Amino acid sequence: MAVRSEAAYPVTWRSGRIARWLVTVDHKRIGIMYIATALVFFVGGGVMALLMRAQLATPNEHLLTKNSYNEVLTFHGTSMIFLVVVPILAGFGNYLVPLMIGARDMAFPRLNAFSYWTYLLGGIVLYMSWFASGGTAKAGWWSYPPLSENLPFTSPGHGQDYWILSLHLLSISSLVGAINFIVTIHNMRTRGMTWMRMPLFVWAIETYAILLLVALPAISAGITMLLLDRRGYTHFFLPSQGGNQVLYQHVFWFFGHPEVYIMVLPVFGMISEIIPVFSRKPIFGYTAVAFSTIGIAFFSLLVWAHHMFTTGLGTSLDSFFMISSMIIAVPTGVKIFNWVATLWRGNIQFDTPMLFALGFIALFTMGGLSGIFLAAFPVDWQVNDTYYVVAHFHYVLFGGSMMGMFGGLYYWWPKMFGRLLDERLGRWHFWLTFIGFNLTFLPQHMLGLLGMVRRIYTYDHGGLWEAYNMISSIGSGIMAVGMAVFAVNIVRTQFFRLGRRAANDPWLGDTLEWYTTSPPPEHNFDTVPYVTSARPLRDLRRQLQEQRAT
Amino acid sequence: MLPALAVALAAAAAASAANGGFSPQHAHSPNVHHTNTAYWVIFAFTSVIFVVVEGALVTFIWKYRTGGRGRDADGQQVHGNTRLELIWTVIPVVILAAIGTVVFVELPNISGAPASAANKLEITVEGHQFYWLFEYPNGARSINELHVPVGQDVELTVLSADVVHSWWIPQLQGKIQAIPGRTNHTWFRADRAGTYYGQCAELCGLYHDVMKATVVATSQADYKSFVSSQATQTLGKSEFEGVCATCHGMQGQGGYGPALATNSLLTQPASLAAIVRNGFGKMPPVANTWTDAQIKALAQYTKTHVYKGASSSGG
Repeated sequence: MAVRSEAAYPVTWRSGRIARWLVTVDHKRIGIMYIATALVFFVGGGVMALLMRAQLATPNEHLLTKNSYNEVLTFHGTSMIFLVVVPILAGFGNYLVPLMIGARDMAFPRLNAFSYWTYLLGGIVLYMSWFASGGTAKAGWWSYPPLSENLPFTSPGHGQDYWILSLHLLSISSLVGAINFIVTIHNMRTRGMTWMRMPLFVWAIETYAILLLVALPAISAGITMLLLDRRGYTHFFLPSQGGNQVLYQHVFWFFGHPEVYIMVLPVFGMISEIIPVFSRKPIFGYTAVAFSTIGIAFFSLLVWAHHMFTTGLGTSLDSFFMISSMIIAVPTGVKIFNWVATLWRGNIQFDTPMLFALGFIALFTMGGLSGIFLAAFPVDWQVNDTYYVVAHFHYVLFGGSMMGMFGGLYYWWPKMFGRLLDERLGRWHFWLTFIGFNLTFLPQHMLGLLGMVRRIYTYDHGGLWEAYNMISSIGSGIMAVGMAVFAVNIVRTQFFRLGRRAANDPWLGDTLEWYTTSPPPEHNFDTVPYVTSARPLRDLRRQLQEQRAT
Repeated sequence: MLPALAVALAAAAAASAANGGFSPQHAHSPNVHHTNTAYWVIFAFTSVIFVVVEGALVTFIWKYRTGGRGRDADGQQVHGNTRLELIWTVIPVVILAAIGTVVFVELPNISGAPASAANKLEITVEGHQFYWLFEYPNGARSINELHVPVGQDVELTVLSADVVHSWWIPQLQGKIQAIPGRTNHTWFRADRAGTYYGQCAELCGLYHDVMKATVVATSQADYKSFVSSQATQTLGKSEFEGVCATCHGMQGQGGYGPALATNSLLTQPASLAAIVRNGFGKMPPVANTWTDAQIKALAQYTKTHVYKGASSSGG
């Protein structure tokens, strides 16, 4: 019997410049495709944000129509969450987890490719919804029924159906990816890498994957019921037919709150990698940082109804969810204090990854503190659904997730592509983003306290309303310039090949990905050193120094 | 370093003290007053945490900057400190417990009407796309403008006739959603005569941004006169202006919806009732919960004030 092998049947078409990306099952290529795709979608979601800020810059503005404003706000939220932040983290996870644990690839490489292509398809379906009859979904990213139901005066047409289909595809992609991460991390760690020697980013991805597995089925069920209501003549959420609207709120937020931590835990992981390397120190309290991740994940499953304090659930439920939401602040605080303590007596290097990591701590702290106001439910009754909340979650998701993610891109770019992104442009990128971000979102706290509710098309107040809105819109423009600088940096570094060549370990890192070449070969490692601590690369460097000394 | 921090703190304090900075809405009802107390307690604690964390961050960044040391020069290899970590776990627990206690102390004065509410006034608020409908104890109804007497407890029953809305008058009470199929409650007691503004806080469709409400707090006598006669007299006008005009224009000239001024439907009460009660095409069933008296008031108003005669083209 003949043995089938690549050599016997050479498949040359697979090695073309584009084809080799299309057919790849290499976790590194899939990771890069995830990140690249998410960055493209980030531009789309960013344009939506700029449109909204342009519409809100002055009172009684008519730049967009009412209808398109609702479409744009729904699309901005949905795409930033489902097409940008979650998948870009899947991209980082894909690229880094096998390298960090000294594995050759993910446990299920083909499933991994399936996961990416399902994500891309989900994204395309969401974008296609702009061409649906009646336009794209316009009921906000929560898509509360009955507004999202197929009634003549709510959401007729197919935009909402595309939205549901897209989220189903993206859920499948994330679920498959989550299983893959968990199996990989549990089974494929290299010799010597016990759980307590695992990089903190891998801890974070493990927790991210578990949360996805637990939380995603809830939204899949919820939007399936919504789809059946819309097209199958059921009445799960239609009170006029005996349905229950509050059921949707529970199902949605049971997913929706863990989703926030899904979007921020892996970034915590990145920060826990970057801060020590650029402080030339170990992380302060590895165990506390690792277990606080698990603590946050656990409690994130018990806080969902703090999104529903104005639903009228009653004092006892409101009290429970206030207390659980406050408890979650404790492990989050532990992380922040440990990162700050890691800087203590360090030798702090101000390379761009570190700038973004420090910016992350500064901004995320702000987002965490405004969250305490929202957890206290009587105070929430005042600020809920206003721009105060918009400011709060942008401090968490942009000031937190996106800032950390930019740090991660600058940090691992040399590993991914063998070239360093330009430091001067990186500093411009950071400062424009940091300043623009605060100009955009700090005044939104005040707008919320003044009474500006979310998701309004326009307003007729002048004075402070107009001033704060104008400042916010100017800030968004500055951020856009920052993003343009980042794009120039990528083009300059990669396409004009002007970026400095990177050696294996340009930052003198701690973790195994810096052991292999930049970029790594397809099989990642020729050999993997036996791991004796959470900082195997530093151990190796020290051994080499000692050998040289003797 | 320290003077800069002091200046920044002074600026922040000034900005936060002024209305329009970090201070919440002026309270004109005891529940908002107590909510604001809770707000300021949280503000005090979080400000201290903010200054400590951001201060430590900036100080460490400055103090332990590389300053010419190479990348290969190690910082002090500190792996942690259990006692320190316990301290910064316990202190937040204590602070959060304090905040939670304050919230629970203030809560009875926020969520429940005071015990003296024997003579409370019960009013029903119903959210519709895209207006608020109020029903008073004597059966009188008004649109978008709620009249209440000063100094009396007002208990609101909050309903929705179509999608989810959120009822909010910042100076009088916090938000409560108006959810179809569900009955919610809130209350306030206006402490002085005046007009208080609010708007729907939950995305409810195309005209979410214009779904505004005013609460007019007046003397007991003025309130009585409003519910006994004024409300009925102005009902048709307020219905047209608060409900129909949103899409059809103040003169019925048309807008998002078609022009009405030349539509003879306005003179046929039965057909008009059918359309506003059941909706038509994209038009929501805006009057699905209206009384016959309301429909009659609308028909009368549109016939005499909006209808301009059939257009010459016969439209």
